Amino acid sequence: MPEIFQRASPLADIAIQGRFGADHGAPGVTLSVRHPALIVTVIARKGKAKTLAEALKNWRGATVQWAGAEQYFVLDRPFDEVRKKLDGLASCSDQSHGRVIIRIEGPKVRQVLCKGTPVDLHESEFEIGKSVLTQMAHVGVHLTRVERDAFELSVFRGFSESFWEWLTEQAEEFGYQVI
Amino acid sequence: MLVKCPHCGTRPVEEFTFNGDASVQRPASNDPKSMDQWFDYVYLRDNPKGRFDEYAHHSSGCRAWLVVTRDTQSHEIFNVVTARDYAKKRVAP
Repeated sequence: MPEIFQRASPLADIAIQGRFGADHGAPGVTLSVRHPALIVTVIARKGKAKTLAEALKNWRGATVQWAGAEQYFVLDRPFDEVRKKLDGLASCSDQSHGRVIIRIEGPKVRQVLCKGTPVDLHESEFEIGKSVLTQMAHVGVHLTRVERDAFELSVFRGFSESFWEWLTEQAEEFGYQVI
Repeated sequence: MLVKCPHCGTRPVEEFTFNGDASVQRPASNDPKSMDQWFDYVYLRDNPKGRFDEYAHHSSGCRAWLVVTRDTQSHEIFNVVTARDYAKKRVAP
């Protein structure tokens, strides 16, 4: 009988639910870990960048995020489906196990994130759906604005624990909850 | 110091890893007679005062190789292009 492995989130025992930090008023930010997540890195083959960008447009059920020149993250679709669809256009690799996506939202979200990144997060500069690659606390972070006051931070699995510690420390002064 | 990455926009220099002179060109020949050219290519570098083309890897950003043209004295940055565009431009006269 084949063994079935269930993928555990590296933050399973670290991102404890509850209310932390400043305890007056509503929490400044709410943190949550997206798990399990389907993440595929897609890199355009030589000369296929434009065709790939077209193929990634209006892909129902998939979330496509910019992740560097001629590179994307495709979320929410299984690896085999992505590879099949983009056959000949791009090289795909499954990153579902390799990255952790942390969602942070709330009225103080920009105040928390701007402690770590030089990227301008103002609403007029950073529209919904935009992604950037940057660095926070020496950790490479893929940052996406998903809603008006909600961002997703994608970091390598191995860095996720120390990154979580840094992030929660920055959120303490505003009060934060983990759901 | 701020570097304007063609993919990411203006970012602090801490996000970049610099890797030396971009103007040197790899010799086309593997012939032992071209040893002098290879020696120049591998070991010898100018140390110019003024304008300088330098490889920069946006290691904490989009991970693209760039060529940053800066003044070695004032650190003024004149131009940033992708290493790919830089190489293409060099091949086509």
